[in-house]
Amino acid sequence: MEAPVCLELYKKMKTKETNTLIEQIISFLKEYSTVHKLISQNHIEFTIDKSILAIASEHITKEPELNASLITITATDERELNNSYVIYAVFSLRKINHLLTLKATIDKSNPSYPAISTKITYANWHEREIHDLFGIIPEGIELSPLILHRDWHPGKNFPMRRDFPKDKEVPITDHELEFQEPHGEGLHQIAVGPIHAGIIEPGHLRFSALGEEIHKFDVQLFYTHKGIEKMLEGKTIIEALTLAEHTCGMCSYSHSTAFCIAIESLGNISIPPRALFIRTLCLELERLGSHMADLFSICSAGGFGFASVHAARLREIIMRSIYKLTGSRFFRGLNIIGGLQKNIPDKVLDSLAQQLLLFKSDFKELEKLILSTDSLLDRLELTGFLSDEQAISLGLVGPGARGSGINIDVRRDNPYLAYKRYKINVPVYTTGDALARTQVRIDEVNESLRLIKELIEDLPDGEVLTEQKSYSQYTPALGIIESPKGELVHWVMLDKENKIFRHHIRSASYINWRGVAQATMGKNIIPDGPLVNKSFNLCYACVDR
Amino acid sequence: MLDILKMWITKGDFTETPPNIRDLDINNWQKDLSRINNLDKKIKNALSRSLAVRHLDLGSCNAEEAELIALSNPFYDISRFGIEFTASPRHADVLAVTGPVTRHLKIAMERTYNAMPNPKIVIAIGDGACNGSIYEKTYACLGRVDQFLPVDFYIPGDPPTPEEIIKGFLVCKMFLANKEEKKWIRKMDS
Repeated sequence: MEAPVCLELYKKMKTKETNTLIEQIISFLKEYSTVHKLISQNHIEFTIDKSILAIASEHITKEPELNASLITITATDERELNNSYVIYAVFSLRKINHLLTLKATIDKSNPSYPAISTKITYANWHEREIHDLFGIIPEGIELSPLILHRDWHPGKNFPMRRDFPKDKEVPITDHELEFQEPHGEGLHQIAVGPIHAGIIEPGHLRFSALGEEIHKFDVQLFYTHKGIEKMLEGKTIIEALTLAEHTCGMCSYSHSTAFCIAIESLGNISIPPRALFIRTLCLELERLGSHMADLFSICSAGGFGFASVHAARLREIIMRSIYKLTGSRFFRGLNIIGGLQKNIPDKVLDSLAQQLLLFKSDFKELEKLILSTDSLLDRLELTGFLSDEQAISLGLVGPGARGSGINIDVRRDNPYLAYKRYKINVPVYTTGDALARTQVRIDEVNESLRLIKELIEDLPDGEVLTEQKSYSQYTPALGIIESPKGELVHWVMLDKENKIFRHHIRSASYINWRGVAQATMGKNIIPDGPLVNKSFNLCYACVDR
Repeated sequence: MLDILKMWITKGDFTETPPNIRDLDINNWQKDLSRINNLDKKIKNALSRSLAVRHLDLGSCNAEEAELIALSNPFYDISRFGIEFTASPRHADVLAVTGPVTRHLKIAMERTYNAMPNPKIVIAIGDGACNGSIYEKTYACLGRVDQFLPVDFYIPGDPPTPEEIIKGFLVCKMFLANKEEKKWIRKMDS
């Protein structure tokens, strides 16, 4: 689409203020590219040459007026279409609720491009993932294996290339993990995992300690990597929805909603208002459940058994109300493209409101207990400190970022579903320690309780499912929502038979793991390690996929 | 309709009666498990009163983990049945595995299993471990657990609710004790 046409479309849709900003974007990206395409109402795509990808990305994120941040980088193997790989770098312009994609084609004979992470450091994992799975080389960064472990022997096997058979096995060899070993007098290493002592997911943690103090912290993740993105290839939309839902248990509903939002934007489906409200309500319920689990973990890692049992009890109450509401303790099977599988009667929702009133008074007790017990506060204060500068340079999201004074929340910045109609108060704490992250969660629970109450009061009547229409093909679509752990992104592209061509999942935990590593390396002692980890309480299943 | 009636009359009813735990012939069931010798039987009989469980995640979607954690909350309080979660496989009688086996965890799985003292009981919890669930076989996902470990008990579900998991553990205990403990079953039914 030509620039003038593009602008005119915007003028119809946006306010004056936004228009001038979009004009600015187009004018300053003009030196890089003249080809733009309007993908959806608030998503613009620029096709640029691969050599200037990094420079343009830096330009966008450094522009103070845009307040832009890099959401994800993903690659597609489009060799069967146009003999090339394609890199998509997606930016969120938080100030004006807009998305911007930079698209660069990479010739198949020379699959390499100058790495974006030389300019934006937190893109490092994205680009190493692209190298592992597609064999595209981002030039200028160290390419140690990330997703595939060291016994994979990269070189010929790139699993996400479309000509790699789905069930091809690569032999497993017993290998040592490689970490940069610190040198110095009195330094010793403590290896933890991949099988941990508690009931948690697998991951290898390596502490280098000087006496008690943690000197260096390394982590080897992706033990539960199942290749879900490869499984999703060639699946129909309904099959893909079930798989997306099974990416993670704790954030199950967030994943299915993000996927639905992406597909619905491709089909221009507007779902009925009642479905909108119920989806929003379920997302908030999931947040309540997840935050109670987080508080349980924080209290038990802090050695405060009474409060942790209290939190576990409250979590079970939420899980049981979810079961009453949807017939599954993890919202499985509730979402479908175009709305909901089944309507939830008003009677059930009223009893939920009653239940939550009791929950609220119980939660007040827990809140008082956590914030007034000196032994726990002593563990939490100044533990796992992360400054706002560090958090920005790591691109953190969710409660981890809000505990370090970064004021972001997708529900408020890029509102979706019924969040557009409500004012969301975002709790922000600037102390940056484990206590701040705990306080953020406590405040968010109270905010969610308020939202659920208002949602039930304002709930409209009517249908919960619309008919499905046709979908646009080979067009990238994004579903971005605020999962309990932070910003969650589903990037979907359909092929000509309306099957999944490429589906990329970037969870909040994927971003925040680097925050955990950084926070652990502050002035902490070894027993604080689990507490710092639990103060973020990230999913491994979300990260590994 | 006539065809169906004819088939029904000539061939009989195909519907199986659901298994009732109370009517199971335990001695016959034990014969099938040739692995269990007499000494094992005695040890297992002793174990049946207290199970030390080691949880092993082989690539699940953490829903099963959430439910296993929920077992220790005041609603379920699994320790009243004499079931405890241990920190190390060396202290465990039972290995509770969840999720389809991933490529990266295969070696860890073998090491964990080998570290357990004999006799080893393996329980597969959740659809992922029991039958691979909806996860297709890929370069990184190898599928159901019983391809690699001898699984003794299956607790299916997506994920199984805490009640179902407790029921599974109790049935496991009952079989190990080699006698029917009807009072537990009555408790679970009510």
